[in-house]
Amino acid sequence: MASVSFKNISKQYTKDESVIKGVDFTIEDGEFVVFVGPSGCGKSTLLRMVAGLEDITGGELYIDNVLANDLHASKRGVAMVFQSYALYPHMTVQQNMGFALKMAGAPKTEISEKVNKAADILQITHLLERKPKALSGGQRQRVAIGRAIVRDPKVFLFDEPLSNLDASLRQNMRIELSRLHHDLGTTMIYVTHDQVEAMTLADRIVVFNGGLVQQIGKPLALYDNPCNLFVAGFLGAPRINLLAGHLVGNGSAELVLAGGQHLCADVDAARGKAGDAVTLGIRPEHVQLAQAADGIAATIILVEHLGDQILVYISIAGVAEELCMKLPGHTSNLHYGDTIHVRLGRENCLLFDQAGVAFTRTVL
Amino acid sequence: MTTKRSNTWLLNALTWSIVLVTLLPIFWMVLSSLRNYSDIADGGQLDAGLTFQWQNYVDMWINVDFFNFFKNSLIICTLTTLFATVSATCAAYALARFRFHGSNAVSVGITITQVIPGMLFFLPLYMLYRKIGESYGVPMLDTYHGLIFLYVALFTPASIWIMRGFFIAIPRELEDAAIIDGCSRFGAFVRIVLPISAPGIIATATFIFLLAWDELFFAWTLTSSSSVQTIPVGIRLFIGQYQHRYDLMMAAATVSTLPVLIAFFACQRFFIKGLAAGAVKG
Repeated sequence: MASVSFKNISKQYTKDESVIKGVDFTIEDGEFVVFVGPSGCGKSTLLRMVAGLEDITGGELYIDNVLANDLHASKRGVAMVFQSYALYPHMTVQQNMGFALKMAGAPKTEISEKVNKAADILQITHLLERKPKALSGGQRQRVAIGRAIVRDPKVFLFDEPLSNLDASLRQNMRIELSRLHHDLGTTMIYVTHDQVEAMTLADRIVVFNGGLVQQIGKPLALYDNPCNLFVAGFLGAPRINLLAGHLVGNGSAELVLAGGQHLCADVDAARGKAGDAVTLGIRPEHVQLAQAADGIAATIILVEHLGDQILVYISIAGVAEELCMKLPGHTSNLHYGDTIHVRLGRENCLLFDQAGVAFTRTVL
Repeated sequence: MTTKRSNTWLLNALTWSIVLVTLLPIFWMVLSSLRNYSDIADGGQLDAGLTFQWQNYVDMWINVDFFNFFKNSLIICTLTTLFATVSATCAAYALARFRFHGSNAVSVGITITQVIPGMLFFLPLYMLYRKIGESYGVPMLDTYHGLIFLYVALFTPASIWIMRGFFIAIPRELEDAAIIDGCSRFGAFVRIVLPISAPGIIATATFIFLLAWDELFFAWTLTSSSSVQTIPVGIRLFIGQYQHRYDLMMAAATVSTLPVLIAFFACQRFFIKGLAAGAVKG
């Protein structure tokens, strides 16, 4: 087990092309940290820098408090699980799992012992003599994880390891990875663009965009208190509803939408001025049905029945953005074209300034 | 349904026609090798029916020192295959994996060598070989190494293109995994990439061997003594000043085809797999 510290890490491929623009944070010993962000945001590059597969252009990387910038990948005490599994096709499962130990010159008995132990943990003992092509996707992924376990690494690195699996298998593997982390207690860094994986697996999430860390925190902290519009939009499915409006008064958390509707948010808007363009954010589960007297009128434009819940897409008069609301399943009296009234509770509303930076919430 | 069936029938007929047209010269060669001199002189290969005579396969070794040509071909083609495969493998891997200054120029250069007819190289090559012999005391004309050197240069570019496609098809992550597992870049190439690309390498090696085995023009023009000349040159000797021994020539041609056929059938599955991969991904 080990901590991983990034000290102003940067990566440039050419003079003008900066992929990582100064990253500064520490992953604690035994933590499960998930890097999320859109394609090209630099999360995989950073992971490969930890693995030793990419050179570090600037800054310092410490693994277990040892400067690792120039350490060979095999000397860093890391093991990596790749998206495509990266199993050696000409070797059996046993040879795949024992390859790193063989390269390190470990005796055959030790290799066999460690491989069997890892195979036991992952319940793949019966597959040891098979070649990768004779395995299913899920089995291959287990072998890839087994290969990492055998190395007994200080840090596990996962590069979108579940992306190639179907939905149900992905869910199973997610649970297994959580259990594995609980059992091994090893530091794990996990890269994904799937925010569900990030929310369910992580002790802490690091959200990347454009080579910069946007926010670091516990999953629910990020979900409830995103620091900016990007983080708010990236976490949560369906996506957070965002409505453009203008502040009504100086330092007031009241805004008026394009359609003239007035809304409030429980935020500290002291730095806001009357007339400032702002964006109000509210999660679909926080948009509630209301009586005509205390709600905003809206028209239903689509109803999606998902079984346990219903997604209702609505349009508010004069407002360009459509809203999504998440209601309990079997709320069957809602139909396309109906007019309903909705309440956007101020305690659940987020407010972002023109630059997309969130105003601090006063209710947590 | 009827249209589909007739289409299938037509396609089958077309396929078999092509197969027959392709195999006919080989059939004629084998048949002629089993006829005597007078049968062939009269154009009566088919008249003799099922009466075969095998004496040509004995006489061909006596009439001309065919074993010598066979030995030369084997040495030259084996060494050519070895050197060309090694150099093509390394070059193809570099072109498939690394971006370096001039990598595009190298790729274009390799392509250009394939569109220039090889015969155009003959005169400058002949002069160069002669110059090397005269100026540096290293004989290149009429030597094994002169021919091998040329063949390696001639057959490497096409081999690079075949193998490049094969290397591109191998996921980079395999090498990354090997590096994390403790291999150097070269170690990952040797331990992971080479074993995986074995079908492609074997296919390429077979391809080079076939090309070298059949090559006549340079083997004929750059050699003059029978101690170096290869089978395609040797076979010509059955046509003499007073007699054209097509019967012996056909027997020699049949025998010279055997190693190539054996090599091809032994490596057939690699050959098809390797060339197909190269074609799709190249």
